[in-house]
Amino acid sequence: MRAKGSSIARILGLAFLIGTIGTVWAEDAKPPFPPVMAPIAEYLEASASAEIALARSAAPPSISGDASVLVLGKDGYDTAAKGKNGFVCLVWRAWAGPGGFDAPDFWDPKYRAPICFNPAGARSVVPAYLERTKWALAGISKAEMRDRTIAAIASNRMATPDPSTLAFMMSKGDGQGHLNHWQPHVMLFLAHTVAADLGAGLKGVPLIAFPGAPEPVTVFDVFVPVYSDGTPVSAEKH
Amino acid sequence: MRSGNSLKVELCGLVLLVGIIGIVRAEDAKPSFPVMAPIPQYLEATASAEIALARTAAPPSISGDASVLVLGKHGYETAAEGKNGVVCLVWRAWSAGPGATGDDDRDFWNPKLRIPICYNPAGARSVLPAYLESTKWAFAGASKADIKERTRVQLASHQMAAPESGSMAFMMGRAGGFADGHHWPPHIMLFFPPISSADWGAGLHGVPISADQEEPEPNITTFNVLVPMYSDGTPAPVKQH
Repeated sequence: MRAKGSSIARILGLAFLIGTIGTVWAEDAKPPFPPVMAPIAEYLEASASAEIALARSAAPPSISGDASVLVLGKDGYDTAAKGKNGFVCLVWRAWAGPGGFDAPDFWDPKYRAPICFNPAGARSVVPAYLERTKWALAGISKAEMRDRTIAAIASNRMATPDPSTLAFMMSKGDGQGHLNHWQPHVMLFLAHTVAADLGAGLKGVPLIAFPGAPEPVTVFDVFVPVYSDGTPVSAEKH
Repeated sequence: MRSGNSLKVELCGLVLLVGIIGIVRAEDAKPSFPVMAPIPQYLEATASAEIALARTAAPPSISGDASVLVLGKHGYETAAEGKNGVVCLVWRAWSAGPGATGDDDRDFWNPKLRIPICYNPAGARSVLPAYLESTKWAFAGASKADIKERTRVQLASHQMAAPESGSMAFMMGRAGGFADGHHWPPHIMLFFPPISSADWGAGLHGVPISADQEEPEPNITTFNVLVPMYSDGTPAPVKQH
Protein backbone atom coordinates (compact mmCIF):
# COMPACT_ATOMS: atom_id res chain seq x y z
CA MET A 1 0.00 0.00 0.00
CA ARG A 2 1.53 3.17 -1.04
CA ALA A 3 -0.92 5.71 0.07
CA LYS A 4 -1.44 6.57 3.67
CA GLY A 5 1.06 4.85 5.58
CA SER A 6 2.92 2.79 3.19
CA SER A 7 6.29 4.03 4.19
CA ILE A 8 7.70 2.05 6.96
CA ALA A 9 10.49 3.05 8.99
CA ARG A 10 13.87 1.61 9.12
CA ILE A 11 15.06 1.05 12.55
CA LEU A 12 17.85 3.18 13.57
CA GLY A 13 18.78 2.32 17.00
CA LEU A 14 15.63 3.20 18.72
CA ALA A 15 13.24 2.00 16.15
CA PHE A 16 12.50 5.37 14.78
CA LEU A 17 9.96 5.67 12.11
CA ILE A 18 11.43 7.80 9.50
CA GLY A 19 10.44 9.22 6.25
CA THR A 20 12.55 10.02 3.37
CA ILE A 21 15.78 10.62 3.63
CA GLY A 22 14.64 7.71 5.33
CA THR A 23 11.60 6.48 3.58
CA VAL A 24 11.73 2.75 3.27
CA TRP A 25 8.93 0.78 1.76
CA ALA A 26 7.64 -2.30 3.42
CA GLU A 27 9.00 -5.47 1.95
CA ASP A 28 5.58 -6.84 1.29
CA ALA A 29 4.15 -3.73 -0.24
CA LYS A 30 6.56 -2.43 -2.81
CA PRO A 31 4.71 -0.07 -5.09
CA PRO A 32 5.51 -0.25 -8.77
CA PHE A 33 7.87 2.63 -9.35
CA PRO A 34 8.33 3.57 -12.99
CA PRO A 35 11.72 2.50 -14.39
CA VAL A 36 11.93 5.67 -16.43
CA MET A 37 10.61 9.13 -15.98
CA ALA A 38 6.84 9.46 -15.92
CA PRO A 39 5.13 12.26 -17.82
CA ILE A 40 6.37 15.57 -16.45
CA ALA A 41 2.90 16.64 -15.40
CA GLU A 42 2.86 13.89 -12.78
CA TYR A 43 5.78 15.53 -10.96
CA LEU A 44 4.09 18.91 -10.73
CA GLU A 45 1.82 20.19 -8.02
CA ALA A 46 -1.65 21.39 -8.90
CA SER A 47 -0.88 24.94 -7.96
CA ALA A 48 2.14 27.05 -7.16
CA SER A 49 0.54 28.17 -3.93
CA ALA A 50 0.19 24.57 -2.78
CA GLU A 51 3.84 23.89 -3.53
CA ILE A 52 4.95 27.09 -1.81
CA ALA A 53 3.04 26.13 1.31
CA LEU A 54 4.48 22.61 1.27
CA ALA A 55 8.00 23.95 0.77
CA ARG A 56 7.68 26.38 3.66
CA SER A 57 6.46 23.59 5.95
CA ALA A 58 10.00 22.20 6.00
CA ALA A 59 11.18 24.71 8.58
CA PRO A 60 9.59 26.72 11.38
CA PRO A 61 7.87 29.89 10.15
CA SER A 62 10.55 31.99 11.82
CA ILE A 63 12.84 30.71 9.07
CA SER A 64 10.64 29.69 6.17
CA GLY A 65 8.46 32.78 6.37
CA ASP A 66 11.36 34.94 5.18
CA ALA A 67 12.90 32.37 2.85
CA SER A 68 12.93 32.33 -0.92
CA VAL A 69 10.78 29.56 -2.34
CA LEU A 70 11.42 27.62 -5.52
CA VAL A 71 8.59 25.85 -7.30
CA LEU A 72 8.92 23.13 -9.93
CA GLY A 73 7.66 24.01 -13.39
CA LYS A 74 7.86 22.21 -16.70
CA ASP A 75 11.41 23.36 -17.35
CA GLY A 76 12.80 23.33 -13.86
CA TYR A 77 12.50 25.28 -10.65
CA ASP A 78 11.45 28.91 -10.68
CA THR A 79 11.64 31.40 -7.87
CA ALA A 80 8.07 31.81 -6.71
CA ALA A 81 8.82 33.95 -3.68
CA LYS A 82 11.79 36.19 -2.99
CA GLY A 83 13.11 35.89 0.51
CA LYS A 84 15.20 38.12 2.69
CA ASN A 85 17.08 35.83 5.07
CA GLY A 86 19.20 33.84 2.61
CA PHE A 87 17.33 30.58 3.22
CA VAL A 88 15.83 28.72 0.28
CA CYS A 89 12.88 26.34 0.57
CA LEU A 90 11.68 23.93 -2.10
CA VAL A 91 10.12 20.51 -2.51
CA TRP A 92 12.53 17.83 -3.61
CA ARG A 93 11.43 15.26 -6.14
CA ALA A 94 12.51 11.64 -6.13
CA TRP A 95 15.79 12.10 -8.00
CA ALA A 96 17.11 13.83 -4.88
CA GLY A 97 16.31 10.84 -2.71
CA PRO A 98 18.74 9.19 -0.33
CA GLY A 99 19.32 6.14 -2.44
CA GLY A 100 20.94 8.15 -5.19
CA PHE A 101 20.99 6.74 -8.68
CA ASP A 102 20.43 3.24 -7.38
CA ALA A 103 17.19 4.08 -5.60
CA PRO A 104 14.24 2.05 -6.86
CA ASP A 105 12.01 5.09 -6.46
CA PHE A 106 14.30 7.38 -8.45
CA TRP A 107 11.47 8.26 -10.84
CA ASP A 108 8.59 8.05 -8.37
CA PRO A 109 6.30 10.88 -9.47
CA LYS A 110 4.56 10.98 -6.07
CA TYR A 111 7.67 11.68 -4.08
CA ARG A 112 7.62 15.04 -2.29
CA ALA A 113 10.24 16.09 0.25
CA PRO A 114 9.98 19.66 1.54
CA ILE A 115 13.34 21.08 2.52
CA CYS A 116 14.78 24.45 3.51
CA PHE A 117 18.48 25.16 3.11
CA ASN A 118 20.43 27.72 5.05
CA PRO A 119 22.40 30.31 3.06
CA ALA A 120 25.52 28.11 2.85
CA GLY A 121 23.46 25.22 1.52
CA ALA A 122 21.60 27.42 -0.89
CA ARG A 123 24.94 28.40 -2.37
CA SER A 124 26.77 25.09 -2.31
CA VAL A 125 24.19 22.26 -2.41
CA VAL A 126 21.04 23.49 -4.10
CA PRO A 127 22.63 24.28 -7.49
CA ALA A 128 23.58 20.66 -8.14
CA TYR A 129 20.03 19.55 -7.43
CA LEU A 130 18.60 22.21 -9.71
CA GLU A 131 20.96 21.07 -12.44
CA ARG A 132 19.96 17.45 -12.01
CA THR A 133 16.33 18.48 -12.19
CA LYS A 134 16.91 20.22 -15.51
CA TRP A 135 18.52 17.06 -16.84
CA ALA A 136 15.54 15.03 -15.70
CA LEU A 137 13.00 17.34 -17.25
CA ALA A 138 15.01 17.41 -20.47
CA GLY A 139 14.59 13.68 -20.78
CA ILE A 140 18.09 12.65 -19.78
CA SER A 141 18.29 9.03 -18.68
CA LYS A 142 19.38 8.05 -15.21
CA ALA A 143 22.58 6.51 -16.57
CA GLU A 144 23.41 9.69 -18.44
CA MET A 145 22.68 11.77 -15.36
CA ARG A 146 25.09 9.64 -13.38
CA ASP A 147 27.79 10.09 -16.03
CA ARG A 148 27.26 13.83 -16.12
CA THR A 149 27.49 14.01 -12.35
CA ILE A 150 30.75 12.07 -12.31
CA ALA A 151 32.14 14.34 -15.00
CA ALA A 152 31.06 17.45 -13.11
CA ILE A 153 32.80 16.22 -9.99
CA ALA A 154 35.95 15.30 -11.89
CA SER A 155 36.16 18.72 -13.48
CA ASN A 156 35.35 20.54 -10.23
CA ARG A 157 32.19 21.98 -11.72
CA MET A 158 30.16 20.58 -8.85
CA ALA A 159 30.80 22.48 -5.67
CA THR A 160 31.77 20.76 -2.48
CA PRO A 161 29.19 21.55 0.19
CA ASP A 162 30.14 24.38 2.45
CA PRO A 163 30.79 22.64 5.80
CA SER A 164 28.34 24.98 7.51
CA THR A 165 25.51 23.78 5.30
CA LEU A 166 22.32 22.91 7.16
CA ALA A 167 18.92 21.89 5.90
CA PHE A 168 15.61 21.52 7.69
CA MET A 169 13.18 18.69 7.04
CA MET A 170 10.68 19.25 9.80
CA SER A 171 7.48 19.17 7.79
CA LYS A 172 4.49 17.43 9.23
CA GLY A 173 3.18 16.77 5.76
CA ASP A 174 0.43 18.15 3.64
CA GLY A 175 -2.45 16.00 4.73
CA GLN A 176 -2.47 14.33 1.33
CA GLY A 177 -0.66 11.20 2.29
CA HIS A 178 2.80 12.51 1.66
CA LEU A 179 5.31 12.25 4.44
CA ASN A 180 3.41 9.78 6.55
CA HIS A 181 5.65 8.57 9.31
CA TRP A 182 8.14 11.28 8.58
CA GLN A 183 10.50 11.91 11.42
CA PRO A 184 11.47 15.59 11.63
CA HIS A 185 15.18 16.15 11.26
CA VAL A 186 17.91 18.57 10.30
CA MET A 187 20.62 17.63 7.84
CA LEU A 188 24.35 18.19 7.78
CA PHE A 189 26.36 17.97 4.58
CA LEU A 190 29.96 17.00 5.21
CA ALA A 191 32.78 15.96 2.97
CA HIS A 192 32.91 12.16 2.92
CA THR A 193 32.83 11.13 6.56
CA VAL A 194 32.67 7.65 7.99
CA ALA A 195 29.22 7.22 9.52
CA ALA A 196 30.66 5.61 12.60
CA ASP A 197 32.70 8.71 13.33
CA LEU A 198 29.46 10.33 14.45
CA GLY A 199 27.93 7.15 15.77
CA ALA A 200 25.34 7.30 13.01
CA GLY A 201 23.12 4.26 12.81
CA LEU A 202 24.17 2.79 16.12
CA LYS A 203 21.50 1.68 18.53
CA GLY A 204 19.97 4.57 20.39
CA VAL A 205 21.77 7.25 18.39
CA PRO A 206 19.47 9.84 16.80
CA LEU A 207 21.60 10.21 13.69
CA ILE A 208 21.71 8.38 10.40
CA ALA A 209 24.13 8.83 7.52
CA PHE A 210 23.76 8.72 3.77
CA PRO A 211 27.05 8.51 1.89
CA GLY A 212 26.89 10.25 -1.45
CA ALA A 213 27.52 8.24 -4.57
CA PRO A 214 29.08 9.52 -6.70
CA GLU A 215 28.98 12.84 -4.85
CA PRO A 216 31.84 13.18 -2.33
CA VAL A 217 29.43 14.03 0.44
CA THR A 218 28.00 12.34 3.48
CA VAL A 219 24.64 13.60 4.63
CA PHE A 220 23.84 13.20 8.31
CA ASP A 221 20.26 13.45 9.51
CA VAL A 222 19.82 14.47 13.12
CA PHE A 223 16.36 13.73 14.47
CA VAL A 224 14.69 16.50 16.40
CA PRO A 225 11.75 16.33 18.81
CA VAL A 226 9.40 18.75 17.08
CA TYR A 227 7.77 19.40 13.76
CA SER A 228 8.02 22.78 12.12
CA ASP A 229 4.58 23.73 13.41
CA GLY A 230 5.73 23.17 16.96
CA THR A 231 3.97 19.91 17.70
CA PRO A 232 6.12 17.29 19.36
CA VAL A 233 6.99 13.99 17.80
CA SER A 234 4.40 11.62 19.09
CA ALA A 235 5.36 9.01 21.59
CA GLU A 236 4.65 6.16 19.22
CA LYS A 237 7.48 7.31 17.04
CA HIS A 238 10.01 6.64 19.71
CA MET B 1 13.78 25.57 41.12
CA ARG B 2 17.46 25.65 41.09
CA SER B 3 17.89 25.65 44.83
CA GLY B 4 15.83 28.63 44.76
CA ASN B 5 17.08 29.48 41.38
CA SER B 6 14.98 28.42 38.65
CA LEU B 7 16.05 27.52 35.25
CA LYS B 8 13.46 27.94 32.71
CA VAL B 9 13.55 26.75 29.33
CA GLU B 10 12.61 28.17 26.16
CA LEU B 11 12.21 26.35 23.02
CA CYS B 12 10.87 26.94 19.82
CA GLY B 13 7.30 26.32 18.96
CA LEU B 14 6.72 24.12 21.85
CA VAL B 15 8.39 24.47 25.13
CA LEU B 16 10.83 21.79 26.04
CA LEU B 17 12.56 21.76 29.31
CA VAL B 18 15.95 22.78 28.33
CA GLY B 19 19.17 23.10 30.13
CA ILE B 20 22.23 24.02 28.32
CA ILE B 21 20.65 25.09 25.20
CA GLY B 22 17.81 27.21 26.00
CA ILE B 23 18.25 27.87 29.59
CA VAL B 24 16.99 31.16 30.75
CA ARG B 25 17.57 31.98 34.33
CA ALA B 26 14.82 33.27 36.48
CA GLU B 27 15.23 36.49 38.26
CA ASP B 28 15.26 35.05 41.72
CA ALA B 29 18.41 35.05 43.74
CA LYS B 30 20.85 32.24 43.59
CA PRO B 31 24.18 31.51 45.11
CA SER B 32 27.25 32.89 43.52
CA PHE B 33 30.65 31.23 43.26
CA PRO B 34 33.20 34.00 42.82
CA VAL B 35 36.29 31.85 43.45
CA MET B 36 37.26 28.23 43.23
CA ALA B 37 36.08 26.00 46.06
CA PRO B 38 38.44 23.49 47.66
CA ILE B 39 39.38 20.89 45.06
CA PRO B 40 37.77 17.92 46.86
CA GLN B 41 34.39 19.53 46.33
CA TYR B 42 34.79 19.10 42.58
CA LEU B 43 35.64 15.41 42.83
CA GLU B 44 33.30 12.46 42.82
CA ALA B 45 33.42 10.01 45.69
CA THR B 46 34.70 7.18 43.54
CA ALA B 47 36.18 6.74 40.10
CA SER B 48 33.59 4.11 39.30
CA ALA B 49 30.78 6.56 40.04
CA GLU B 50 32.34 9.13 37.74
CA ILE B 51 32.90 6.58 35.00
CA ALA B 52 29.27 5.54 35.15
CA LEU B 53 28.11 9.15 35.11
CA ALA B 54 30.33 9.98 32.14
CA ARG B 55 29.01 7.08 30.12
CA THR B 56 25.42 8.27 30.52
CA ALA B 57 26.12 11.09 28.06
CA ALA B 58 25.72 8.84 25.03
CA PRO B 59 23.82 5.66 24.22
CA PRO B 60 25.62 2.51 25.39
CA SER B 61 26.35 1.60 21.77
CA ILE B 62 28.78 4.51 21.83
CA SER B 63 29.78 5.08 25.42
CA GLY B 64 30.28 1.41 26.17
CA ASP B 65 33.36 1.31 23.95
CA ALA B 66 34.57 4.82 24.75
CA SER B 67 37.57 5.92 26.74
CA VAL B 68 36.58 7.56 29.99
CA LEU B 69 38.41 10.36 31.75
CA VAL B 70 37.97 10.93 35.46
CA LEU B 71 38.84 14.06 37.39
CA GLY B 72 41.52 13.67 40.01
CA LYS B 73 43.39 16.11 42.19
CA HIS B 74 45.71 17.08 39.36
CA GLY B 75 43.34 17.00 36.44
CA TYR B 76 41.70 14.38 34.28
CA GLU B 77 43.15 10.91 33.98
CA THR B 78 42.21 8.05 31.73
CA ALA B 79 40.21 5.63 33.83
CA ALA B 80 39.06 3.36 31.02
CA GLU B 81 40.68 2.75 27.66
CA GLY B 82 38.22 2.66 24.82
CA LYS B 83 38.31 1.25 21.35
CA ASN B 84 36.04 3.45 19.23
CA GLY B 85 37.86 6.78 19.50
CA VAL B 86 35.08 8.34 21.55
CA VAL B 87 36.00 10.01 24.84
CA CYS B 88 33.50 10.45 27.68
CA LEU B 89 33.98 12.55 30.78
CA VAL B 90 32.09 14.76 33.21
CA TRP B 91 32.52 18.47 32.69
CA ARG B 92 32.85 20.75 35.66
CA ALA B 93 31.46 24.24 35.73
CA TRP B 94 34.36 26.04 34.06
CA SER B 95 33.76 24.05 30.92
CA ALA B 96 30.56 25.42 29.78
CA GLY B 97 30.50 29.17 29.97
CA PRO B 98 27.37 31.28 30.14
CA GLY B 99 25.59 29.12 27.61
CA ALA B 100 25.31 26.40 30.17
CA THR B 101 25.10 28.27 33.38
CA GLY B 102 23.10 31.32 32.62
CA ASP B 103 23.81 34.66 31.08
CA ASP B 104 26.75 35.42 33.32
CA ASP B 105 29.59 33.57 34.96
CA ARG B 106 28.05 33.09 38.37
CA ASP B 107 28.40 29.34 38.14
CA PHE B 108 31.92 29.36 36.78
CA TRP B 109 33.23 27.84 40.01
CA ASN B 110 30.07 26.03 41.13
CA PRO B 111 31.43 22.80 42.62
CA LYS B 112 28.11 21.01 42.24
CA LEU B 113 27.87 21.19 38.49
CA ARG B 114 28.26 17.85 36.69
CA ILE B 115 27.79 17.64 32.94
CA PRO B 116 28.42 14.26 31.31
CA ILE B 117 29.62 14.53 27.74
CA CYS B 118 31.00 12.15 25.11
CA TYR B 119 33.10 13.51 22.24
CA ASN B 120 33.37 11.74 18.94
CA PRO B 121 36.92 11.09 17.68
CA ALA B 122 37.20 14.41 15.81
CA GLY B 123 35.89 16.30 18.82
CA ALA B 124 38.21 14.42 21.16
CA ARG B 125 41.17 15.44 19.03
CA SER B 126 40.32 19.03 18.30
CA VAL B 127 37.88 20.36 20.93
CA LEU B 128 38.44 18.43 24.13
CA PRO B 129 42.12 19.39 24.67
CA ALA B 130 41.25 23.02 25.38
CA TYR B 131 38.94 21.98 28.20
CA LEU B 132 41.54 19.66 29.69
CA GLU B 133 44.04 22.48 29.57
CA SER B 134 41.71 24.90 31.32
CA THR B 135 41.10 22.28 33.98
CA LYS B 136 44.82 22.06 34.64
CA TRP B 137 44.99 25.81 34.97
CA ALA B 138 42.05 25.80 37.37
CA PHE B 139 43.62 23.14 39.55
CA ALA B 140 46.90 25.02 39.54
CA GLY B 141 45.11 27.96 41.12
CA ALA B 142 44.48 30.17 38.11
CA SER B 143 41.68 32.68 38.53
CA LYS B 144 38.77 32.95 36.16
CA ALA B 145 40.37 36.02 34.63
CA ASP B 146 43.66 34.14 34.24
CA ILE B 147 41.95 31.26 32.49
CA LYS B 148 40.20 33.57 30.07
CA GLU B 149 43.37 35.48 29.36
CA ARG B 150 45.41 32.32 28.79
CA THR B 151 42.74 31.11 26.44
CA ARG B 152 42.88 34.38 24.54
CA VAL B 153 46.68 34.17 24.28
CA GLN B 154 46.57 30.59 23.06
CA LEU B 155 44.07 31.53 20.40
CA ALA B 156 46.14 34.47 19.29
CA SER B 157 49.22 32.28 19.00
CA HIS B 158 47.28 29.49 17.29
CA GLN B 159 48.10 27.01 20.03
CA MET B 160 44.42 26.19 20.30
CA ALA B 161 43.14 24.13 17.41
CA ALA B 162 40.08 24.89 15.35
CA PRO B 163 37.44 22.16 15.44
CA GLU B 164 37.95 19.46 12.85
CA SER B 165 35.19 18.87 10.34
CA GLY B 166 32.61 16.55 11.85
CA SER B 167 33.48 17.37 15.47
CA MET B 168 30.57 16.70 17.76
CA ALA B 169 29.58 15.57 21.22
CA PHE B 170 26.65 13.86 22.90
CA MET B 171 24.83 15.28 25.91
CA MET B 172 21.98 12.85 26.14
CA GLY B 173 22.30 11.77 29.74
CA ARG B 174 19.58 11.98 32.33
CA ALA B 175 22.08 12.11 35.18
CA GLY B 176 24.23 14.97 36.33
CA GLY B 177 23.14 18.56 36.28
CA PHE B 178 22.89 21.05 39.05
CA ALA B 179 22.71 20.43 42.75
CA ASP B 180 18.98 21.03 42.80
CA GLY B 181 18.26 18.47 40.15
CA HIS B 182 17.77 20.83 37.28
CA HIS B 183 18.87 19.41 34.04
CA TRP B 184 19.02 19.94 30.35
CA PRO B 185 17.19 18.24 27.54
CA PRO B 186 19.05 15.65 25.49
CA HIS B 187 20.99 17.16 22.66
CA ILE B 188 24.02 16.76 20.48
CA MET B 189 26.64 19.44 20.04
CA LEU B 190 28.22 20.29 16.71
CA PHE B 191 31.47 22.23 16.73
CA PHE B 192 32.51 24.59 13.97
CA PRO B 193 34.92 27.42 13.41
CA PRO B 194 33.05 30.66 14.08
CA ILE B 195 29.74 30.90 12.21
CA SER B 196 26.93 33.37 12.68
CA SER B 197 24.12 31.78 14.65
CA ALA B 198 21.71 33.38 12.18
CA ASP B 199 23.16 31.21 9.42
CA TRP B 200 21.57 28.23 11.15
CA GLY B 201 18.47 30.01 12.36
CA ALA B 202 19.66 29.15 15.86
CA GLY B 203 17.52 30.56 18.62
CA LEU B 204 14.65 31.53 16.37
CA HIS B 205 11.16 30.59 17.45
CA GLY B 206 10.43 26.96 16.75
CA VAL B 207 13.98 26.06 15.79
CA PRO B 208 15.34 23.21 17.94
CA ILE B 209 18.86 24.56 17.73
CA SER B 210 20.75 27.03 19.86
CA ALA B 211 24.23 28.42 19.47
CA ASP B 212 27.02 29.04 21.94
CA GLN B 213 29.53 31.55 20.75
CA GLU B 214 32.39 33.35 22.40
CA GLU B 215 32.38 31.10 25.43
CA PRO B 216 34.15 29.05 26.47
CA GLU B 217 36.41 29.26 23.43
CA PRO B 218 35.81 32.08 21.00
CA ASN B 219 37.32 30.08 18.15
CA ILE B 220 34.36 27.72 18.24
CA THR B 221 30.70 28.02 17.43
CA THR B 222 28.76 25.26 19.12
CA PHE B 223 25.34 24.38 17.78
CA ASN B 224 23.19 22.44 20.21
CA VAL B 225 20.56 20.36 18.46
CA LEU B 226 17.76 18.93 20.56
CA VAL B 227 17.08 15.25 20.01
CA PRO B 228 13.97 13.26 20.88
CA MET B 229 15.32 10.92 23.52
CA TYR B 230 17.81 10.39 26.29
CA SER B 231 20.74 8.02 26.02
CA ASP B 232 18.74 5.32 27.80
CA GLY B 233 16.06 5.51 25.15
CA THR B 234 13.39 7.30 27.13
CA PRO B 235 11.66 10.16 25.34
CA ALA B 236 12.64 13.72 26.07
CA PRO B 237 10.05 15.67 28.04
CA VAL B 238 7.95 17.84 25.84
CA LYS B 239 4.89 19.89 26.31
CA GLN B 240 3.04 22.13 24.01
CA HIS B 241 2.29 25.75 24.46
